[in-house]
Amino acid sequence: MAVTRSKTRTLLDQLVERLQAGEALLPDTPENLEEVVGILQSYGVVLDAYYRNLLDIAERQFLVLFPFFKYFDGHVTLERLLKHWWHDRINYEYAEYTLRTMMWHGGGGLETYLESEQFIALAHLAIAQKIRLNPGMRLLEGLFPDFLLEQVRQAVYYHVLGQFWQVMSPLFLTLAEAYERGEVRSIPEVVDHVKAGLVAAASQPLVYQVTLDGATYDIIPASAGLTFLADAAIPYVEAIFFRGTPFFGVVSYNAQLQEISNDPSRFTYGALYADPVTTGGAGIPPTLLMQDMRHYLPPYLRQRYLSQTRGEADLRVKICISFQKSMFCVTTATILGLLPYPLDTANPEQRQANHLHLRQWVYRLQDSQVLTWQWV
Amino acid sequence: MLILSGLVWLPSLGALVVALWPGAHARSLALGIAGLNLLLTILVLEHFDPGLAGMQISEQWAWIDALDLTYHLGIDGLSLPLVILNSCLGCIAIYSSDREIPRPRLYYPLLLSLMGFVAGAFLAQNLLLFFLFYELELIPLYLLIAIWGGERRGYAAMKFLIYTAVSGVLVLAAFLGLAWLSGTGSFTYAVLLKHPLPLAAQLVLLSLLLVGFGIKIPLVPFHTWLPDAHVEASTPVSVLLAGVLLKLGTYGLMRFGWGLFGDAWRVVAPGLALWAVVGVLYGSLTAIAQTDMKKMVAYSSIGHMGYILLALAAATPVSLIGTVFQMVSHGLISAQLFLLVGVVYQKTGTRDLGVLRGLLNPERGLPIVGSLMVLGVMASAGIPGMAGFVSEFLVFRGSIAQFPWQTILCILGTGLTSVYFLLLINRAFFGRLPQNWGVLPESTWSERIPALILGLIIVILGVQPGLLVHWSEATLVLPPAALSTLSSFSPWL
Amino acid sequence: MVVMAQFLLHGSWWIPLYGVLGACLALPWSLGLIRRSGPRPAAYINLLATVLAVVHGSIVFRTTWSQEPQYLVFHWLRAADLDLSFVLDISSVSTGAMELVTILSLLAQVFALGYLEKDWGMARFFSLMGFFEGAMSGLALSDSLLLSYALLEILTLSTYLLVGFWYAQPMVVTAARDAFLTKRIGDVLLLMGVISLGTLAGSFNFPDLYEWAETAQLPPIVTALLGLALIAGPTGKCAQVPLHLWLDEAMEGPNPASILRNSVVVACGAYVLIKLQPVLVIFPVASTTLTVLGTLTAVGACLVAMAQIDIKRALAHSTSAYLGLVFIAIGSQWTGFALLLLFAHALAKALLFMSVGAVIYTTNTQTLTEMGGLGRRMPATTIAFLVGSIGLEGVLPLGGFWALHLGLNDFWGSAPWLVGVVLLVNCLTALNLTRVFRLVFLGDPQVKTRRAPEVGWPMAVPMVSLTVLTLTGPLVLSSLNLLPAWQDLGWQMTGLLIGSGLLGCLLGSLVVLTRTWSRPVQWTWKFLQDLLAYDFYVDRLYRLTVVAAVGSLSRLTSWLDRQVLDGVVNLMALVSLGGGESLRYTSSGQSQFYLLTILLGVGLLGLGVLWYW
Repeated sequence: MAVTRSKTRTLLDQLVERLQAGEALLPDTPENLEEVVGILQSYGVVLDAYYRNLLDIAERQFLVLFPFFKYFDGHVTLERLLKHWWHDRINYEYAEYTLRTMMWHGGGGLETYLESEQFIALAHLAIAQKIRLNPGMRLLEGLFPDFLLEQVRQAVYYHVLGQFWQVMSPLFLTLAEAYERGEVRSIPEVVDHVKAGLVAAASQPLVYQVTLDGATYDIIPASAGLTFLADAAIPYVEAIFFRGTPFFGVVSYNAQLQEISNDPSRFTYGALYADPVTTGGAGIPPTLLMQDMRHYLPPYLRQRYLSQTRGEADLRVKICISFQKSMFCVTTATILGLLPYPLDTANPEQRQANHLHLRQWVYRLQDSQVLTWQWV
Repeated sequence: MLILSGLVWLPSLGALVVALWPGAHARSLALGIAGLNLLLTILVLEHFDPGLAGMQISEQWAWIDALDLTYHLGIDGLSLPLVILNSCLGCIAIYSSDREIPRPRLYYPLLLSLMGFVAGAFLAQNLLLFFLFYELELIPLYLLIAIWGGERRGYAAMKFLIYTAVSGVLVLAAFLGLAWLSGTGSFTYAVLLKHPLPLAAQLVLLSLLLVGFGIKIPLVPFHTWLPDAHVEASTPVSVLLAGVLLKLGTYGLMRFGWGLFGDAWRVVAPGLALWAVVGVLYGSLTAIAQTDMKKMVAYSSIGHMGYILLALAAATPVSLIGTVFQMVSHGLISAQLFLLVGVVYQKTGTRDLGVLRGLLNPERGLPIVGSLMVLGVMASAGIPGMAGFVSEFLVFRGSIAQFPWQTILCILGTGLTSVYFLLLINRAFFGRLPQNWGVLPESTWSERIPALILGLIIVILGVQPGLLVHWSEATLVLPPAALSTLSSFSPWL
Repeated sequence: MVVMAQFLLHGSWWIPLYGVLGACLALPWSLGLIRRSGPRPAAYINLLATVLAVVHGSIVFRTTWSQEPQYLVFHWLRAADLDLSFVLDISSVSTGAMELVTILSLLAQVFALGYLEKDWGMARFFSLMGFFEGAMSGLALSDSLLLSYALLEILTLSTYLLVGFWYAQPMVVTAARDAFLTKRIGDVLLLMGVISLGTLAGSFNFPDLYEWAETAQLPPIVTALLGLALIAGPTGKCAQVPLHLWLDEAMEGPNPASILRNSVVVACGAYVLIKLQPVLVIFPVASTTLTVLGTLTAVGACLVAMAQIDIKRALAHSTSAYLGLVFIAIGSQWTGFALLLLFAHALAKALLFMSVGAVIYTTNTQTLTEMGGLGRRMPATTIAFLVGSIGLEGVLPLGGFWALHLGLNDFWGSAPWLVGVVLLVNCLTALNLTRVFRLVFLGDPQVKTRRAPEVGWPMAVPMVSLTVLTLTGPLVLSSLNLLPAWQDLGWQMTGLLIGSGLLGCLLGSLVVLTRTWSRPVQWTWKFLQDLLAYDFYVDRLYRLTVVAAVGSLSRLTSWLDRQVLDGVVNLMALVSLGGGESLRYTSSGQSQFYLLTILLGVGLLGLGVLWYW
């Protein structure tokens, strides 16, 4: 795509104007609408499974060093085991990859909280209870004082991501219902639906407790003041949509080449930037998510995919493309949700501030796939 | 039972049937006939006694006595593998032909008759009969290139025709000279074997044969028709051209050059070995500079034919077995590579290594074609476990005592082979599939299966080379002069 | 029981096939034919095959311990007077080597289950690992030069495919290419040697070759060239100067494959050399070259390793260095030292690479200067790195100490300067590993190492198991009476060895570490650092010599082909047919006319000659 820099800039400026006019980053076409709603529906189903598992691991597999059955949510039957071994299952590894990426990038109040004295004290209480009968672990804890603490931090992220998706999953599923009822007819309406959901949950508190030997231990008490939008949703969007981690399959980790920035905040390996054509290949983790969604596509979307390009054979690439489109809608919702002033404000200063905000976000999308969809 | 004649006439007459059959069944009919032909080949295999050194299953009729042109077919351990190769690749070429090919009632008959004539050349025991088939085979091949070829098909077909016609003239001249100088006036192979010529005469006639067959093989510098012909020919024709037709040259050189001019052969052998080195290095180096995948495979053929010449020059029992093995393995490997290049070309519309990229992509690339391609090029580069290694090993092991330096330099050629083929894999199949290419069509199983079958045979022969060596060993271990007395003439089986 | 053991012993040739079989069974997943479910069954199949190989191998190993070596002969191909048979040598050394291969392969595969958990190409990876393992265990058993050669080539191919696993990544593409071609140069030279040697000796089997070597009389020039050809293959395989660059580049491949590559794959080349050693005796040039190459590599690679800022590459160069010592050992006919060092190095280096894999998995970076502070949070990884380092260095009585001590003992009287080399390598390795340890595990966490939870059990279990194996390895060896008693060690040698190791550790802990990729101001230091960091610019040297030569030669022949040869031919056609131009632009009507002319011409000529008769 030989697009000159100035052409890109004009396009980006057009996008800013579009957002200001209340439209979305993704062009509003019936095809896009069908794709976005359909894919979000299957995403909702997959997220449902992910979040239940994440919460289960955080609550019931707390500090278990050999969680052999961590993906079973406590129901281990022979049939499930065989299906599991046949790899005919949800790829929960993707959810874990997401939470590890989120944890690695940090951000929000959660990062600060995890470094706080309050958290360390609470975590040590739970750790002490958990390992009190295990001399080996106690020795290890003595030698490596931060080992289990860091595991608890990881468990926190399991739980936080679980809580985040617990909100998002029904949000996407209700979107699909609304679409089927004919209440959602355009991409901006999709954005509104998501934005409304995010705003509604914005101040929902993030809390995390574990139960050990019948006693309940607070890891994140409500008093920590962590909330859904600021401490889960925004860090999530930042870590997963924008930054991501470099995929082994396309980026060299060779230190001497310095292909990867030493500053993670400058990463552009997130969901909005990834090349969908590489999906399905080796070293491309999102393939797992696309694979999971393929099983839950609504019939109309499946029909559409099967009639396009290679049909079943390149299904995951098509899912990835639709998924990226839908994530641009979620991003639009987030960007609009974070506007400093109402979009339709008449105050020129406020309008200017809004414009700056939008411009800042949109310009971060310079190298993302958003421009690809604009040609269509 | 006239099974050898069947191998010649079933496809040739079958061609007539296909051409005259009303309705649109040319492809299935042709496939049926090629299949029958393959069954017939298996029948030949059944009757063939690998323990015998000489000609077997002879079929002989007088034809034109005045010219001593007899219709005399026979088979030995040298022709047998080539006949099998011909039947197999014939099936594959027909199967892998475009289903929508224009003028099918001309195309398939031409392919079939090509198979028949080539089989005739491999089986002919009379020099004139061989020549007849050798010339006849040109007509269908010429037409196949000239009608169904690429953009510059006219030029390529013409070039091919002129070259091979010159080749024919030279071969005929040598044959006539042989019959004349031997004083027998006979064109019967077995008779000529018993009447060796004086060295000087041998040298003259052998040089005619060397250039004549050298064009066909082709040997540098008589090779320039080959890349053009391959580039312009359609995939099935390339498969037959590289897989079987080049072998007519090496077969002729071995059967008639080495077989009939033993003394002269020993004199020129060092020169031939040197020629082989030049061919191997020249072909491999030129292949490195190619950006057209098909040209690359074509030049690789030129390089690989050098190994055969080296082994023929050394003419030890092991090197001769290596020769036959190399003919077969090169036939299989180059056929597989041409098939795969054909699929890539059909799907992407280009064979340019400067353009192609990332075809291993599992969703939108050609991953299975790519995997088979890796197998094919590795076999060609002589990686153990595949047929190419066995043949190269036998060639080198058989030749090194005679021509140590030449052999060492040819081994260097295998190193160069891996260079250009690795470039091919790395450029076309590795890397990231460009996002803006649009969607390439998927390769179908009917396109993959022929290459898959060839790949399997390549691996099987690589692991169990005895399966092939077994058939040729007796023929090749004894020198041909000794054979003539041993031959058992049994016109009726 | 005995019958069973003997049965398994005679079935030892199955052990390499388990891996290959696993690889083949996994093909439906590797080729992407199964799409609706995931690739993990392929991994489980290969793991199972490897477990089978380990179990079968350990029974065979126990059985061979009390027995004379046994030989299994397979006639592969008889052609004329050539009888190509593959001989398998079932002895405690060969089955021990095979056990090492299969156990490390098993651990690496379990590790990969974690490391590649989010990689959809997992099936292909495990298939290749099965193939890899099969080739290596076959090599351990092989008692035929031809079979060993064939397996080395297959290793070259599998290295290419394993390094090329992430084929869409640009650096992987060049790395895989270079790995293949570099090794292939060695292999092709080796093939020349193998064929020449086999022809001279009349057999490819090692016992026959040994016998031949005792009486062989060869002209000196042949001796020299043959010797050099024979060591060329292992030189490439063991990443020795001048065929060493590929190992650095191969670090682009997935880490679990690096575990095997840096421990046992490189050792395969040396193993073949050890097998060849009785033959190499008659090639003094080869022995000298081995020693020289080994010394150059050992010292050079140690220096280069110290200038690396990539965690994998810092260790990969140290692999070259240790294999350099092995080369020296083989060159000076101390195969016992060579074997012990290979064993110790394989365990320790595999462990180091597991630890490094865990670090990369957690921190998403390979850059040493971006790391720090992992020690408090990643116990298994930290301990693994520590034990691996000590297992490699001659400081505490783990594998490296015993191996290097044996080396000192061997060289003490005969070649004092080699004692110096061993001590230098020990010192520099200790320095480098201490440097890496400080950068990764000590100090304050940086932005990329801020959140670093220890890896999960699929990676931790193999890491801990191998830690235990590295720690107990010397005990096992001493229980088999393979190590000298404490009182026989000699205080001088022991003191020197430990002293050099401690000196290295000390220097490593004192050296100033900059965690920014800042460059020295003084130009001499800058030059030196770059020289080492970029591996003495050897790759540029290659590009200017070999690569340029092949490239320009190929362009020359290609030009010659199109312009000269083809031109001459077309000119001849022009003259002979009087219409070359029309030939070039002929239309199909005209060409059919030509066709007829030619056929008629040929026919007439033939008839004329016959008429004359």
